[in-house]
Amino acid sequence: MRQFRGLALGASLLVLLGACSTGGGSKPTVKIGSDGFYEAKLMAEIYGQALEAKGFTVDRTGIGIGKRAVSAPALEGGQLDLKPEYIGSGLAYYDAGAGASAAPGASAATPATIDRGDPAAVATAFQAVLKTKGGGITLLNYSPAADQNAFVVRKETADQFHLTKMSDLAANSSLKLGVATDCPTNPVCGKALKDAYGIDVVSATLLSPCDTPMVKALLAKTIDVGELCSTQPDIAVNSWVVLQDDKKTQPADNIAPLVRDDLLGKLSAADKTTFEKVLNDVSAKMDTATLTDLGKQVSVDNKDIKVVATAWLKANSLV
Amino acid sequence: MIDWGWLLDHVGAILGRTVQHIELTAIALVVGFALSFLMALLSLRRPGVYTIVSGLAGIFFTIPSYAMFAAFVAFTGLSILTAEIPLVLYTFVIFIRNMVVGLQSVPRDVSEAAEGLGFTTRQRLIRVEIPLAIPLVMAGLRLASVSTIGLVTITSILGDSFGGLGFFITERPFFATEVLVGAIGSILLALGADVLFARLQRRLTPWSQVGRARTGDGLPRSTDRPVPA
Amino acid sequence: MTILGSVAAWLTDPANWTGPGGIPIRLAQHIGISVASLAIGAAIALPAGLWIGHTRRGVRLAINLANLGRAVPSLAAIGILVPFTVLIDPEAGFKVYPTLIAMVLLAVPPILVNSYAGISEVDPDLVESARGMGLRERQILSAVEIPIALPVIIGGLRSATVQVVATATLGAIYGLGALGSFIVEGSAQRDDAKLFGGVVLVALLALTSEGLLGLLQRRLTSPGLRFAAR
Repeated sequence: MRQFRGLALGASLLVLLGACSTGGGSKPTVKIGSDGFYEAKLMAEIYGQALEAKGFTVDRTGIGIGKRAVSAPALEGGQLDLKPEYIGSGLAYYDAGAGASAAPGASAATPATIDRGDPAAVATAFQAVLKTKGGGITLLNYSPAADQNAFVVRKETADQFHLTKMSDLAANSSLKLGVATDCPTNPVCGKALKDAYGIDVVSATLLSPCDTPMVKALLAKTIDVGELCSTQPDIAVNSWVVLQDDKKTQPADNIAPLVRDDLLGKLSAADKTTFEKVLNDVSAKMDTATLTDLGKQVSVDNKDIKVVATAWLKANSLV
Repeated sequence: MIDWGWLLDHVGAILGRTVQHIELTAIALVVGFALSFLMALLSLRRPGVYTIVSGLAGIFFTIPSYAMFAAFVAFTGLSILTAEIPLVLYTFVIFIRNMVVGLQSVPRDVSEAAEGLGFTTRQRLIRVEIPLAIPLVMAGLRLASVSTIGLVTITSILGDSFGGLGFFITERPFFATEVLVGAIGSILLALGADVLFARLQRRLTPWSQVGRARTGDGLPRSTDRPVPA
Repeated sequence: MTILGSVAAWLTDPANWTGPGGIPIRLAQHIGISVASLAIGAAIALPAGLWIGHTRRGVRLAINLANLGRAVPSLAAIGILVPFTVLIDPEAGFKVYPTLIAMVLLAVPPILVNSYAGISEVDPDLVESARGMGLRERQILSAVEIPIALPVIIGGLRSATVQVVATATLGAIYGLGALGSFIVEGSAQRDDAKLFGGVVLVALLALTSEGLLGLLQRRLTSPGLRFAAR
């Protein structure tokens, strides 16, 4: 009698366990995060809503957690599973960590021969580096939408000094420069500006790039040249002039989702395919012009990020 | 000037953030208070403890809050702990000083009288020292609540899930309406907390209202003279 | 290398002691803006506090204004001030003045409240007898009330100093320089040694200035009061 009961108990437990482990509806929660500025938060929100539409549970606690110096370690450490990244700057981030004295394009992480202006080459190199971080991170397809570093001047300044491209700056050393806080040690900034254009950032004002203090400084004429992001609405709103990067020092900064391999490993084969397809579809349908417009809706028209994300996803039949 | 449309659309969000702000503040105050109280009692038995603890606490006070928050993300990740640990440390700094000095500031004649009446150390603590320490502790509570409410706005650097009303200050820095909601909202909260604790202080220490005006500062000062009856 | 080791290495590296971004210049900038804001804050708060403490008028208003000052989040204040201060001067009005004003806002409450508290706590009998001896109001203030209240007033200055020194680091976000730049740059450049080196320097400066003021506080306590003061 006892043995029979024991067997029955054991058998039913086995059945229960079996049901639980075949992933019948138990997808792991996807922890989404992003850097702190509106564009990264917007892309993360878009990823999140697109995934939710396909039945994934999403945890948004990590959205906007700070600069790359915070979000990258969070992704490597597992506090985040998924975040949007700009492939050129993302790669440069790991180069800078590998050694600030590296020549642009060369480092322990990346071979010197890659063309940083070519998104495909950058993506391949970036994926190679990411495989060695945090137990493996996958770079999904990159989007045609790109947000490059842009050096920007006020219209009056451009007219007064006849500035159209970065090379024009070397002749006008009286102009006050504002660059990113990490420029001195970032090989695609400090060293690149010096080597290609003869610009020395030693006496430049260091401010958070693409961020409010930089915009305010340019408006206030504290600086004449500011380092902003090409899709920033402030450029259009103020009729500022973007100086052409004629020597091509700035890397291709297309947006791509970064996802931890251990999250992918926890998904069933079918779920993994869905997951990747959702994000790749989003990336494919986004382009620079749209990204700029969405950014304008968030920062200038003051629309909520969630509202803007939903509208775009619906318009593109992704939810 | 003010975008009333945006305000009306976001009443819910503003209320939600206000509640978050109060929650984050309340947790920091309660935990900081409890920790400081324990430390203060410990310091009474061993005076050396207070010197070490207040020294360390003083150092924390000088570390800029945003650096603290950023540093903690590496250890405690994205949980509420990351926001709360620095906040608790800051309230601890304010409370511990006031509590220890408050407990130590019992006038000599009063504690001698208590001893003469046959009070044990424990009874002295509960019936004499703690009640007389209340004014300074309450003053500390007022000060800590105001400064914590201000610090909670900085937790917005941890992302959209934190920040309380500080979220509105940093989300669109050029959008005056939103920034003012955040800034004025947190100032109003701070003033409200101050008034609340001032009232509470007056209720708990009726004997201190007679005579000269009382200050709201709460910085520890010696009070060797007995409080006017 | 441990974090302590790398910070020690950063602090002792001679390269970090030279140039416009070196420790001496940034330390000087930090001391400069702290002293300036404390001086301006004291110039506003001391006379007001002394007067309010002596005449007992306007106490409510003073306390409320002081609390308002404490409740304003400093970084938000700096950001709000920038568009106005740049009208004075595009460079200094961006990098220096907003932070300076925000620090003054921070320094005023402790100085105001402590000066008022110190004066008002002076034994009224003493003030009465001084009045009875024929001293004028201003003489009472200078000869009786201030000397007795001095330790408390300096206590307010100490508190203000620590807050100002710690918070002046925010100025680096708007290009002020000063010790905050090490923290901001160290964070952006992923240089932990620089980041924590900056933190250590700020902490040392705050503790040193607080300690010096503490010594001053003790020396300036009238001998008759010394046994009473803590």
